[in-house]
Amino acid sequence: MKRHAVLWSLIVLAVVMLAPFVIVALNALKTPAQYASDGPLALPSDITFQGVIDFWDRVGFGQKLLNSFIISGSVAVLAVVVSVLNAYALGIGRIRGRSWILIAFLVANTLPQEAMVYPLYFLAKETGLYDTQLSVIIIFTIIQAAFGTYLLSSTYAGFPHELLEAARIDGANKWQTLVRIVVPISRPTLGVLFVFSFIWTWNEFFLPLVLLISNDTQTVPVALGVLQGQRLMDATMTSASALLGVIPAIAFFLIFQRTLTRGITAGAVK
Amino acid sequence: MTGVKGLSKRALAAMLAAALVIAGCGSGSGDDGPRTLKLWHYEGPDSAMGVAWAEAIKQFESTHPGVKVEFEEKGFEQIQKTAPMVLNSKDAPDVLEYNKGNATAGLLSRQGLLTDITDEVTKRGWDKQLSQNIQTTARYDERGVMGSGKWFGVPNYAEYVMAFYNKDMFAKQGIAVPTTIAELTAAMDKFVAAGITPLAVGGAEYPAHQIMYQLALSKADKGWVDRFQRYTGSVDFHDPAWTYGAETFADWVKKGYVSKDSAGVKAEDMGVSFMQGKHPIMITGTWWYGRLAAGIKDFQWGSFLWPGLTAGSAGNMWVVPQGSKNKDLAYDFIAITMSPQIQDKLRDAGGVPVADSGSPAASPQIKELTENFKTLSGGDRLAFYPDWPAPGYYDVQVSAVQKLITGTATPRQALDELAKPYQENLANVGK
Repeated sequence: MKRHAVLWSLIVLAVVMLAPFVIVALNALKTPAQYASDGPLALPSDITFQGVIDFWDRVGFGQKLLNSFIISGSVAVLAVVVSVLNAYALGIGRIRGRSWILIAFLVANTLPQEAMVYPLYFLAKETGLYDTQLSVIIIFTIIQAAFGTYLLSSTYAGFPHELLEAARIDGANKWQTLVRIVVPISRPTLGVLFVFSFIWTWNEFFLPLVLLISNDTQTVPVALGVLQGQRLMDATMTSASALLGVIPAIAFFLIFQRTLTRGITAGAVK
Repeated sequence: MTGVKGLSKRALAAMLAAALVIAGCGSGSGDDGPRTLKLWHYEGPDSAMGVAWAEAIKQFESTHPGVKVEFEEKGFEQIQKTAPMVLNSKDAPDVLEYNKGNATAGLLSRQGLLTDITDEVTKRGWDKQLSQNIQTTARYDERGVMGSGKWFGVPNYAEYVMAFYNKDMFAKQGIAVPTTIAELTAAMDKFVAAGITPLAVGGAEYPAHQIMYQLALSKADKGWVDRFQRYTGSVDFHDPAWTYGAETFADWVKKGYVSKDSAGVKAEDMGVSFMQGKHPIMITGTWWYGRLAAGIKDFQWGSFLWPGLTAGSAGNMWVVPQGSKNKDLAYDFIAITMSPQIQDKLRDAGGVPVADSGSPAASPQIKELTENFKTLSGGDRLAFYPDWPAPGYYDVQVSAVQKLITGTATPRQALDELAKPYQENLANVGK
């Protein structure tokens, strides 16, 4: 009986979670005329991909996908590299004042982006990086690496000392210990960090909106914002854009499914 | 093991290198070679303005050989949020569409980010083309308050609030088109008696407070509007006009002209319910025209003017950033958008042109729309929008009128809610 209760509540939850996606899909495949006459909940009478195609052409979606991929990919890789180096010093190197450094990182991580936007804009402008993807890559590398450092430091603090000592006895220097011992052993955790950094950066809206002003540098979430007019919205095309917007996230999830579910046990060292 | 474990170190390194190389190439453009006009606006390609301006770009390119127009469509939100920063950088466009009003164009003009185009306006005669009413939102004084001072923009189109109505539903009840508020009330009584909620209203967004403003305007005069919108004198939110507006609106809810459920309805859903023929009347702005023309297939419809003063103004306008490198080209482009050809194009796509060419309109509804505008503009009847006078006032207006719909505030309380932010803002405009 109890098992059924859990099952049913999960089914209800799944339906509630999926309902918005179903409505988006329904309206994305509808003609604007049918939307106007039958409303948002009606089933599409004749399925049309025109809204999807129009949106793709209107914003140059292929370019936006590439931009998002470049930015998120670069950030994910750089954030992992920076986090590993930081965490090696903080977690294994046990440098002085490490807890203060971690607290500073955490506090920096909780700062709302709205508060940082003006200083970041100013810095980007002064360094000539305004409206370049490099500015966004640098900023998000730092933001994601702050969290990454925090996560990895606690993992590395519990790193088995026997392994490190064995490496030292074998004559490995600090760099060799990091590259040959620490990184390979913590690879599952690094994978989780990589995936999270990628997805979080992919979904960022506000800072890319402010920093990437040319259409050919913009990312997917910013492109989706183009459709919201001052007073009117194009419901079918907005749905089409939403549908296109979630597809990369779903694809990414399917590819990295295993790594993501491993995120639950992130931090554990074998 | 799949996933990240499969991503070897070498692959990661290669990805990183590739990504950085591409990112590095993304920016940087030479200033040499043929000239370009960098142009931004945020109208959809199918909207009246989008259609007309696409044509204007074509004309500009054919009359300016050797100049390339680099057009980018932006989101309204993006321009709203980032314009002050963009215009303050070297990446500013040469000409862009920007929102009119004290809190937007007025603010930027005060910050010195917009070019004073007064000389150009008089030289090219735009001040003659635009009626006094329409000029209000294009001119800002040194405090950034609209209505007087230098020119900082040129509006291409206008918008105003009126009533769209379902001719079939009116005919079925045997109701003639109302010309006074008393007639409108009588018509709505008939619909209520027939079990139909007469007004399509979106209480969660701008439509509801625009109706209340319309009601207040029916007891107001131009001096009242100037005091409220341009701070030319003290404003009393418990004067006869405001009181009439709030009390009548509450009364309309009580009588069932406005559904109590409409407090949570978005403007989009209001429009859809009118297009589905659920309500016979929708009091809202001309910006809905294109959507209605495209979406209504099953019934005849038309529009009629609100008696007396009416919410409305020039639309958003072209502004030339101070950092524009091609100001001469920007002026040439604006001149093309003000030409009779482009203005006609805008009209026939469902927009309200500011400069009338006198040529015949494409459809009777379009004729109605432009004729009504001429009546309003000629009679100096445009009264702007209720959410203009103070920053963040839109949310205040929505919330106060929502409470009138749900009955959680009395008309007096709702007006008090409107009064407070307004009076606080007076200090910011130096009053």
